[in-house]
Amino acid sequence: MMDDLTLLGFGPDGWAPLLLKGCLLTLAVSATSMAIGTVLGVLLAWARLKGPGWLRRTALVYGVVLRGVPELLVILLLYFGLPSLILSLSETFGWEAPGLPPPFLVGSLSVGLVSAAYQAEIFRGGVGAIPRGQFEAARAMGFSDLLCFHRIVLPQVARVVLPALGNVWQFNLKDSALIAVTGLSELMRTSLVAAGSTRHPFLFFGVAMALYLVLTTLSSTAFHYGGRYSNRWDRG
Amino acid sequence: MGEHLTFIGSVTAQLVRAVPVTLLILAVSGVCATVLATGLTAMSVARSPLPRLIQRTWTFLFRGTPLILQIFMIYYGFAMVPWIRHGLLWAAFRDPVFCTCLAMTCCCSAYIAEIFRGALAAVPRGEIEAGRACGMTGFLLLRRVIAPSLIRIALPSYSNEIIMMTKSTSLASTITVLDITGVAQQVIAHSYRTLDVFCAAAALYLLINATLSTLLTALERRLDVDRAPTPLAPIPPTLEPLS
Amino acid sequence: MSKTLRGAVLGLAVLLSQETGHATDVAPQDTPRTVVIGTEGAFPPWNITRPDGTLIGFEPDLLQVLCQRANLRCQLVAQDWDGMIGALQAHKIDVIADALQITPARKAVLAFSLPYAITTGVFVTQKDSPLARMANRGLVLDLDASPTPERQTQALSALREELRGKTLGVAISSTYDAFLDKYLADVITVKSYRTMGERDLDLLSGRIDLTLDDTTYLRPLLAAPDAQDLVLVGPELIGGELGAGEGFGLRQDDTALAERLNAAIRSAVEDGTVRRLSLKWFKADATPTLDARPGDAHPGDAHPGAAAGSPQP
Repeated sequence: MMDDLTLLGFGPDGWAPLLLKGCLLTLAVSATSMAIGTVLGVLLAWARLKGPGWLRRTALVYGVVLRGVPELLVILLLYFGLPSLILSLSETFGWEAPGLPPPFLVGSLSVGLVSAAYQAEIFRGGVGAIPRGQFEAARAMGFSDLLCFHRIVLPQVARVVLPALGNVWQFNLKDSALIAVTGLSELMRTSLVAAGSTRHPFLFFGVAMALYLVLTTLSSTAFHYGGRYSNRWDRG
Repeated sequence: MGEHLTFIGSVTAQLVRAVPVTLLILAVSGVCATVLATGLTAMSVARSPLPRLIQRTWTFLFRGTPLILQIFMIYYGFAMVPWIRHGLLWAAFRDPVFCTCLAMTCCCSAYIAEIFRGALAAVPRGEIEAGRACGMTGFLLLRRVIAPSLIRIALPSYSNEIIMMTKSTSLASTITVLDITGVAQQVIAHSYRTLDVFCAAAALYLLINATLSTLLTALERRLDVDRAPTPLAPIPPTLEPLS
Repeated sequence: MSKTLRGAVLGLAVLLSQETGHATDVAPQDTPRTVVIGTEGAFPPWNITRPDGTLIGFEPDLLQVLCQRANLRCQLVAQDWDGMIGALQAHKIDVIADALQITPARKAVLAFSLPYAITTGVFVTQKDSPLARMANRGLVLDLDASPTPERQTQALSALREELRGKTLGVAISSTYDAFLDKYLADVITVKSYRTMGERDLDLLSGRIDLTLDDTTYLRPLLAAPDAQDLVLVGPELIGGELGAGEGFGLRQDDTALAERLNAAIRSAVEDGTVRRLSLKWFKADATPTLDARPGDAHPGDAHPGAAAGSPQP
C-alpha cells in the first residue's frame, strides 16, 4: 500500500506530475479537436444545406465515411499517412520538406475530423429546427445574410445544439485516449507507460479511469450550466 | 500500375480473412451487451433503491471512461490480480478476444441501457393503462404491450449504437488481436504502403456498417406498424400461443 | 518511448533521401564545429531524461568524451524517435545518438559512424516454462560469421525445434523483425506490442512464452524485484539482420563529420573508455571490435563481414 502511494506521489519515483500533465494534454487535445470539429462541422452543415450540388454530395460522402470508419483507423491513417502526403506535396511544389507534423496536431486533427462529421449533423438538425417563416420574415425586414445568421439562426441553434454538443464533447474526450497510439503523452498514454514500466497496471489504469471520470463529470456539469444559460429566456 | 493493383488485391484478401474475427467480437459483445442492458433497464425501474444505484453506478463508470482504457484494464490490469492470474478464470482472461468482448459488453450495455430507459419512458402511458384494463399483468403486459412499443422507439438509436460497436471492435487490435485493423497494421509493418492498406481496411468497415444499417433500417420499416403501407403478414399462430 | 514508427519513418526517410543532396559541410579537421545531436532521452540506460531536463546515460557520457576529442562543440537535444530521421534530413540535428543499430535497411537511408557499442539480442522466458531449459545458454551466435561454424548451424536448428509452436512477443517494428522473418517466423507465432512495457506485462502474465530483445534492456528488467519469475535462456544473437552494433546516424553527405567522429570512436574504443562507460551503464562490456585498418572510415563498415564490399575469406 505504501508502495502504491509512493508510485502515485510527487516524489522522485512518483507519477503524479506526469499523470496531471497527461490530464491537461487530454483536455488540450480534446478542446483543439472540438474546435476543429466545430469549424469544419459548420462548413459541412452549410455545404449540405446551401452548397452547390457537387459540394453537397462531397459533404454527404464525408459524413458517411467519417462516421462509418473506426476512429482508431482514422488516427492511424493520418499518423502514418500524413507524412508521406506532406512529402509528396512538398515534392510537387518544390518546397523544402518541412519534417514530420507533431503528434499533437495529428491527434487533434484526426479526432477533430471525426467530430466534424457528427457536429455537422447536429448543426444541420439545429438549423432545420428553425421555422422557415422566420427566414422569410428576416428577408422581408431587409436583414442581410450575416445579420440573419447573427440575430435569427445563432441564438436559436445554440440553444437547440448545446446539449448535443455536450455529447460530442464527451465522445471527443474519450476518443482522445485513442491518440495514445501515436505516442502523445496524454492521460491514456501516460498511464500505459506507467503501468508498463512499474508493472502495476491495475493501479495505474484504475487511477486513469478515476481521472477520466473527473474530467467527464466536470465537463458535463459545465455543459449543463451552459445549457441553462442559453435557455435563460425560456424560463419564467 | 498493375503491380499496384496486385498489391491492393493481396492486401484486401489478407484483410478479408480477418473479417470473421471482427464479426465474432461484434456478435458476441452485441448479444451479451443487449441482454445485460435489458437487465440494467429493469434495474433502473426497480422499486428498491439498490438495483437503481447499481444501474446508475454502472452507467457512470462505463460511459465516463474511454473504452480503450477499460480494455487495457481488463487485459493487463486483471492479469496482475493473483486470483485471476492463478484461478480458473485465467483460461478466459488470457485470451485477448475474450477480454475485448467483456470490455465491450460492459461498456456498450451501459449505452444501450440508456437507450432502452429513454424508450421505456416514451412508451405511451395510455397503452399500458389499456393493457391493464384488459386484465394484463406482469410478463404478459411486458411482452404484448410494452416491449413492442419499446423496440420500435428504441430501434433507430439502437442501430446507431450497433454501428458504434462495429467501429469499437477495432480497439481489439491494441491488445494483439488480429482483427481487420490488427492485420492492417501488421501488413504496414512489413510494407510501407500506409495509404493503400488503411483505405482498404476503411472500405471493409464501411461495407460492414452499410450492410448492418441496411438490415436494421429494413427491420425498422418492418416494425413500423403506423406507416406500414400494407397490413403485415399474419403472424403464424404457432409462434403466438394463447396464454 | 516510441519505437513504433521505426519502420514507417524509415519508409518515409527512403523517400526523403531521394531528394537532392544538400551542400556538404566542409570544414578542416582542426577548426571547431558546432553540431546538434538528437537523442530520445527515454531509452535507458542509453539515454535518460532526469526530472530537471538534463540528459544522462551511456550516450551522453560517451559523447562528452568524443566531442572533446573530435574538437566539436556538441549540443545534445531531446527529440522523439518518430521525427528523428526527418529532423536529421531537415538539418535540424546533425547526429542521431539513440542506440541506433547499424542494419542494412537503415544504411539505405542514413550514413553511420563506426559502432561505439555492440550488444546482443537475448531470449527471456518464465522460470516455470519448459523453455527455461533451452540449450546453448550464453552461446553467442554471430549471424555474419562466414563460413558459418558447424556449432552455430546446429544451435540455430536446435533453436527452431525448441521454439516450434511457441508464442514470442516483440515491440512492433523492432530490429528483430527481419531476424524472426528469416529464421523463425514459419514455426512460431509472433505477437507485436506497441511498447516494450506492454510486452513485458504479457511476458510476466504468461500470455507469451518468451521475448527477444536487447541485452541492455532485458538484463536490468531481470534485476527488478517483480520480475523474479523471468530468466535469460538460449543463445545470444549478434550481427546479420540484428545489425553490426550501435552507431551514430549521420546524413549521407556529411562525410567530414563521419571522419571526425570515427577517429574519436576508434580512440575511445582503443583506450578503454567505451569499456569503462559500458560497465558503468550496462553492467557488461559492450566494446565493439573495429577493423584494424587505420584510416579506413567507411561509415558503418566496421563489424566483420558487415561491410557490403569487404572480401570474404
